[in-house]
Amino acid sequence: MLLLSRFIISGHSMEPTLQQGQNVLVSYIPYLFVKPKIDDMVLIRHEENRFLIKRITKIDGEKYFVGGDNKKDSMDSRRFGWILKKDIAGKVILKAQALVSYV
Amino acid sequence: MIRQKLLTVIFKILPTNVAYAHCDIPCGIYDPHLAQMAAHTVIRMTSLINDLKASSSEPLFDERKKIISQISRLTKVKDEHAELVKHEVRILWGDYFKEEHLKQYPELNDLVFRTMKLASKARQEVNIEAANELLDTVQEIAQIFWKTKNIKSAKIKSPYPSGATIVVPK
Repeated sequence: MLLLSRFIISGHSMEPTLQQGQNVLVSYIPYLFVKPKIDDMVLIRHEENRFLIKRITKIDGEKYFVGGDNKKDSMDSRRFGWILKKDIAGKVILKAQALVSYV
Repeated sequence: MIRQKLLTVIFKILPTNVAYAHCDIPCGIYDPHLAQMAAHTVIRMTSLINDLKASSSEPLFDERKKIISQISRLTKVKDEHAELVKHEVRILWGDYFKEEHLKQYPELNDLVFRTMKLASKARQEVNIEAANELLDTVQEIAQIFWKTKNIKSAKIKSPYPSGATIVVPK
């Protein structure tokens, strides 16, 4: 669960929405008040200390199906199945302009 | 302006983490087919531009408009697909090919380098030789790709109007 974190995108599965190298701000705070909804871009904990960024495409009760915007190049729920709310580390609340370096 | 500055400060203050948006976890799904199709498109667009003819050396304004419109559309697609070739080859080179592949196929680095340069040339010019050569280098990469997977490949005549060949797994 993240209060506010900055992430840099690695990979192409969220193109054209998010480009490789783009910075985003992620926070769990919105989900303290409302449930995740379809079309939300979310950060999910895939493995220990490994985060994926995906979009919620389907909701079934407390289960969420996530996918990449770039369907041909995305490792997502089509492969690892439905996820639970506890797997969601936060919502993308802001994206920086593509390829702008804040480092 | 103030908002932008504020965001810049926030982005600078916060430490960076990496969010993976990729299938290279690894999911192992790679294929040189898309790069080849894009290279075929570059050939086709280049041929179509070369085939454009005017009815005279001084065509009427309406005919000029039509030709300019056609050239614009064909050039746009040619450019997009030359860039797509680069994009697809970058994925193979950056994500799929590993050091042991480079040791086994030392020509790979040069092939990728030439592919990038040829794709740029095919974009900048209306050059059928460059477009054909681009497909050749992409196909050489495709052949190496299938070899690294211990899968036999064959170069067969493609069903596309470019009339060129395509490398497919057997």
